[in-house]
Amino acid sequence: MNEQSNALGTRLRSIGDQFIPYLLAVVASLAAAGIFIAAMGFDVPKAFATILFTSFRTPTGFVQTLLKFVPLVLQALAFTIPLAAGKFNIGGEGQMIMGAIGATAAGILFSGLPLPLLLPLVILAGFVFGGFWAAIPAWLLYRFGINEILTTVMMNFVSFSIIDYVATEIWQDAAAGHPMTVPIGVGGELPLLVSRPPLHTGVLLVVVVAVVVYVYTNRTAAGYELVATGSNPRAAKVHGINVRMMFLLSLILGGALAGLSGAIEVAGVHHRLIEGLQSNFLLLGIIIGLIAKGNNLAVPFVAFFIAILEVGASALQRTMMIPVEMVFIVEALVLLFVLLSDVVRRR
Amino acid sequence: MEQFGAHFVSFAKLVLLAMVPYVLASQGTMLGGRTGLFNVAQEGIMLVGASVGFLGAYLGGNLVYGLLLAMLAGALFGLALAYFTTTLKMNQFVIGLALFFVGLGLSTLFYKLVVGVTLQPPLIPTLRDVPVPFLSQIPILGDVLFNQNWLVYASILLSLFLYYLLYKTSFGLELRAVGENPKAADSLGVHVSRMRYGAAIAGGVLMGVAGAYLPMVYTGTFTEGVVQGRGWIAIALTFFGGWSPHLILLGALFFAGVEVLALRVQVGGLGIPYQFLLTLPYIATILVMIFAVRWIKAPAFLGQNYDRERRIL
Repeated sequence: MNEQSNALGTRLRSIGDQFIPYLLAVVASLAAAGIFIAAMGFDVPKAFATILFTSFRTPTGFVQTLLKFVPLVLQALAFTIPLAAGKFNIGGEGQMIMGAIGATAAGILFSGLPLPLLLPLVILAGFVFGGFWAAIPAWLLYRFGINEILTTVMMNFVSFSIIDYVATEIWQDAAAGHPMTVPIGVGGELPLLVSRPPLHTGVLLVVVVAVVVYVYTNRTAAGYELVATGSNPRAAKVHGINVRMMFLLSLILGGALAGLSGAIEVAGVHHRLIEGLQSNFLLLGIIIGLIAKGNNLAVPFVAFFIAILEVGASALQRTMMIPVEMVFIVEALVLLFVLLSDVVRRR
Repeated sequence: MEQFGAHFVSFAKLVLLAMVPYVLASQGTMLGGRTGLFNVAQEGIMLVGASVGFLGAYLGGNLVYGLLLAMLAGALFGLALAYFTTTLKMNQFVIGLALFFVGLGLSTLFYKLVVGVTLQPPLIPTLRDVPVPFLSQIPILGDVLFNQNWLVYASILLSLFLYYLLYKTSFGLELRAVGENPKAADSLGVHVSRMRYGAAIAGGVLMGVAGAYLPMVYTGTFTEGVVQGRGWIAIALTFFGGWSPHLILLGALFFAGVEVLALRVQVGGLGIPYQFLLTLPYIATILVMIFAVRWIKAPAFLGQNYDRERRIL
């Protein structure tokens, strides 16, 4: 009995040890932001209340937060899965756009199909297109050993042109003022979980994906090979792991998840392809992945926190005219402080 | 024939004009890389350079203020990179990405705080051409090479100077040694972390100027999309140039050529959708990497931190 409570105590303490640096990082970043906001002559308590509580004051705020949460989790996982193998995927944006294009293409070309057929097709197309877009840099790394940071970034810029071409030339909606395609078939839309304010079922899908990824990376032999590759490629190679293949697969899997985020934006939110739907999810995804230190169990929680900040930040800009970039600095600071806490602990 | 000549002159002139940010940002990357410090925050530092460069020029009424402010901002980023990686021994890529984020946020934040949201963006005058006496009179070559803004000359001279510094001086040898084998350099009395700090700060300064160049030559104002991946391309260019100043200069000509060509064809209208022309610089970058990977030799210690108390490198 005593031993058990001791074990529990140790466990709780270790969770606390991991959690406290995060808390300190958040408090320190907000304090820095507070000083900055005060220096600009704004009402600091009101600004903080807006940042932190907008998500919980109204149902709309909460749904907005969840809608941000969905792509953020997927973008973060698109970064952390290759990161586990020691590779940096900075191409989540392009992979998301290509996923959205694939989903839209499926949704428009087969618009007559009923939901049970079309919806899986749309989601799968996003998955495949995203994976394909990541496969190009992954193959270049596999075949020629070309630095994946560079190639994944370059693929982002290429995708911006492709989405522009698709939205203004192939399936453009001539009536719209902004570059966008005609809507996809009704059967390709994700059913709603809550109808007012509208929240699509992609939220559930993402939770399932996050659990599957966590189980894969932390509880299976295949996932262990991935992590072993990342922590010491040479040792992994000696033990018979095809290291270069792990690089390749991890990047493609990450790309597929980023593509999925694009498909969900199309099937769940816009019901069509809209230029700019990638927003700044890539950067936030990387920040989330790094704040979580690559731990896939932590990713959804960090993503939820960042979603709260993002929704709060846009409210801040609306109601108090504080530029939305302010919160981006806060997020970058949280990241730096979390990283710094590691250094402090090492000493 | 005469018309072709005129076309060629204006094309070559534009290429040299477009070359400057690539040269500056890549030489900055090269400097850090030669000491083993792999900076991946170029895009963010250039954005901040563009933002404060514009604001300094706009508020100060002189482009020089903008350039000085951009240099200062770049130096601070370089200092931060060196501190986190060299002193605190944190992962270079992670810190580089974090600094990229900070730069991305700060650049727009500064602009919005100072200028606010306006219908008509405020404009600064663009950098004027400064013809070199006598030399600019040479037919064709004079117009292309010696009738440009002074940063074009400066970027070429800087490249030549860096070549001399790196390969013809003992300081250059020490600098390169730090990136190849810091332990050996350290044992011979080279101050490894001081070298890294210096290279990171100097590199940051160059990247800041590279960013400030963009509003001063192209847009006349700051926009979020002003850098457009040039920072990332600069990394590729640095690899392509084999981390050597003279080859980087040549590589920058190539990348600038692709950039100008894409714009030219777009204006000329060959029936190719302009979206595909816009992808040219990025696709060229990837293709170039495929070929360059055969001959490039990056500094052996690139991207790794040096800890003198660790026994195994």
